[in-house]
Order: sequence, then structure tokens, then C-alpha cells
Amino acid sequence: MLTGLRRVEQVMGLPVSVDLRDGDERTRHAVDRAFAWLQEVDLRFSPFRFDSEVSRHGRAELAPEELSDELAHVIDLCDHYERSTGGAFTTRLPDHAFDPCAIVKGWAVQGAATILQDAGARRFCVNAGGDVVTSGEPEPGLPWRVGVRHPDHADQLCAVLALRNGAVATTANYERGNHIIDGRTGQPARDLLSITITANDLITADAVATAAFAMGTEGITWAATQPNCEVFAINSSRHVFRTPGLPIAT
Amino acid sequence: MRIHRAIPLVVLSIAGLVPLWLYDPTATETTEVAADVGIVPEAQTQTSTEPPTTTTSKPADSGYGTTAPPTTTTRKPTTSAAVKTVNGPVVKTVHGDVQVQVTFTGDKITAVKFLKQPNTGPTKMAAPLLIQETLKAGSADIDSVSGATQTSEGYVKSLQAAIDAKGN
Repeated sequence: MLTGLRRVEQVMGLPVSVDLRDGDERTRHAVDRAFAWLQEVDLRFSPFRFDSEVSRHGRAELAPEELSDELAHVIDLCDHYERSTGGAFTTRLPDHAFDPCAIVKGWAVQGAATILQDAGARRFCVNAGGDVVTSGEPEPGLPWRVGVRHPDHADQLCAVLALRNGAVATTANYERGNHIIDGRTGQPARDLLSITITANDLITADAVATAAFAMGTEGITWAATQPNCEVFAINSSRHVFRTPGLPIAT
Repeated sequence: MRIHRAIPLVVLSIAGLVPLWLYDPTATETTEVAADVGIVPEAQTQTSTEPPTTTTSKPADSGYGTTAPPTTTTRKPTTSAAVKTVNGPVVKTVHGDVQVQVTFTGDKITAVKFLKQPNTGPTKMAAPLLIQETLKAGSADIDSVSGATQTSEGYVKSLQAAIDAKGN
């Protein structure tokens, strides 16, 4: 018998919601493992934990052969986006510890979705702090409807996207303490209020959203050139710029 | 009157497009080939690399200036929203001359394409097209919310919390 499952936990400092529609014994167990994976990532990859792999790497305490495959992969992704944005996106700000959080988050949550997939789940939605991975359809014939939060009103939307097997990530500065620094200037990026990216996977969507936000105005165009990415951006003048291929719900 | 408003937008569009040449990691060399002049079909495939890759990026060091004034063509002054195309000035970049054409429907940009683009360089086929819209606010029946909700305090106030509490 198939039953739905909904679960919310605070992990990696984020509220993480799982909405599993094709729940059975196996997929429900996979939800436990998905949360366990996120907790493992928090221990290993948090720059706020002194003994995490990431902190040790930041202090240059790990020899190259001591790097885990996972951390090596994350570092490759960070380097890619740092180069691609001309340094606007960076994991090494002056006077700050090595901080790959922007990449780790999307990568970890995509990994959690893969755990559900591998257990046979085909109809689910994972939301981690507003970054969303969808699989299949919530109801037969219907896409997942993902609202984009309005930059000025937490209880309102400025767009609704329709997704099947895709990811959405939003980077914005409307929450207290949530500043993205433009690595080229060392100053907080202020051109954009919010940028939302859809992609096939959350690693790409989250990385591109963060990197584009750091770049500012030119980041909108840059994001539009990233593979399989669609863009919905709001600048500080509250003008919306979006790509024509953005999957807007009807 | 609309033309006066359009010109700064064209310049902004160019400012947005020029970085395409600057940020593509495959931009490692420039060769002397005649510029590809002509209207580019809108449905161009984008050239890009899959991350992570081992490439080098060019520094953003272009100095460019304009050599030709913008020209404007208006067609179809029919019904409510007139469609108008505006040709931007030719802009010199380190990779060659760039000229864009912007289509307005009423006051909104509905298409941006290259009239002139370097035949060489990394993103010769990448003409991203951005649509400009007004910011809307509203509510709708949704399954999930995308937004920057990174604190528990923010979560409590968020629509996602309401959705999670509501259940299926």
C-alpha cells in the first residue's frame, strides 16, 4: 500500500522538508537515510565545526591523498564557479575561513534526493531552506507547483513554476544576516534582490543562483548562459528579468 | 518619446551581453576572422561547458566605446502594444564588434539578439534572451516554495511552513 509521508527537520542549519507521495516501507526508510546523510554532511562539511573535513582543509591540515572523494568533488565545483564568475563567487574571502557552504548545500540535498530515487521513490519533493528538488508528479498528470517567494513579502509569491524532475534554487538577501559577498570587491552584492534558477539538478541550480547573485546585474545574463538553466531575477529597482524558457505554471 | 526611453535600455542590454565574452572559460585565444554580420536566429543553442572543468578564464579587461548611433525601426503600430525594434550602437570589445537589436512590445523588452558578433571567441552562438516583466505579488495553490529561508525564524513565517503543517 502506498501512503504519503511528510517530514520536516532542522539539519545543516536549515529547515528541510520532505514530501514523499509514493511512500512504502522501502522509500519511507530511505527518508530516514536521506536525513542521516544530511546530518553526516553537516558534521563533515560545516566550516563552523572546528574538526570538520572542511575546516581541516581550510587550515591546510589535510594532505591531497587525505581528501575524501566527496570533498575533492565539492572543491572542483567551487573552483569551476569561481573561475566562471571571474572571482565574484569565492570560497576564500580575505580574513575568512574556507567556506564552500554555497556549493555543499545544493550538492548535499541533491544527494538526499538521489537516496530517495535509489530506493524507488519517484514522486517526491525535497525543500531545504527554499532550495527545491522535485521528482515525478505530485498527482498523476500534474507538475509540482513551486512558488517563488516575493522579495518584500514572506507570505506572498511573485511567480509559480511547474516542475517535473527538476530543481529550483533561490538566492536572496531578504533574510537577516544573509549576505552574499562579491569576491571581486569584498563588498555585499546589492544589485539583485533575489534570483531564482531552475536546472536539472540542485547542484547546478544552487551554485548558479549563488554565483549569479554575487556577480550582480551581469550575473543575470551569465546565469542564462549556464547549461539547462532558466532564470527569474529581481533587481534592486524591482524589475523582473527572466528567460523565455522559464517553466511558469499555468 | 518611447525612443528616448529605449536607448538607455539598449545600452544596459549591451552591458549585460558583453560579459558573455569575458566570462566564458573557453576564451583562451582570439583569431583574426571576419565578424559574422547578420541577424541571428532566436533559437540558438548555447555553447557552454559542464562543470567541473579544467579551463582558464580571461580577465575582464575590455575597453570599449561606441562608433555608431542607435537606429530605431517601428513596425506594426496596431492594437494595444506596438512591437518595435531598436538597433544598438556598435560596441567594440576585445573580441570584436558587437551590436544588438532589442525588440520592445509596448515598453517591455521581449527579445534581444545580436546583429553583429565576433566570429571567434567563446560564446559566438550564445545570445541569451531575457524578458523584462513587472514584479507581481500574490498567492496560489502550490506544493513548495523557493526562497532564501535559512533561519528557523524565517521558516516559521514562511509559506513553506504553512504547507508543511497543512500536510497533503
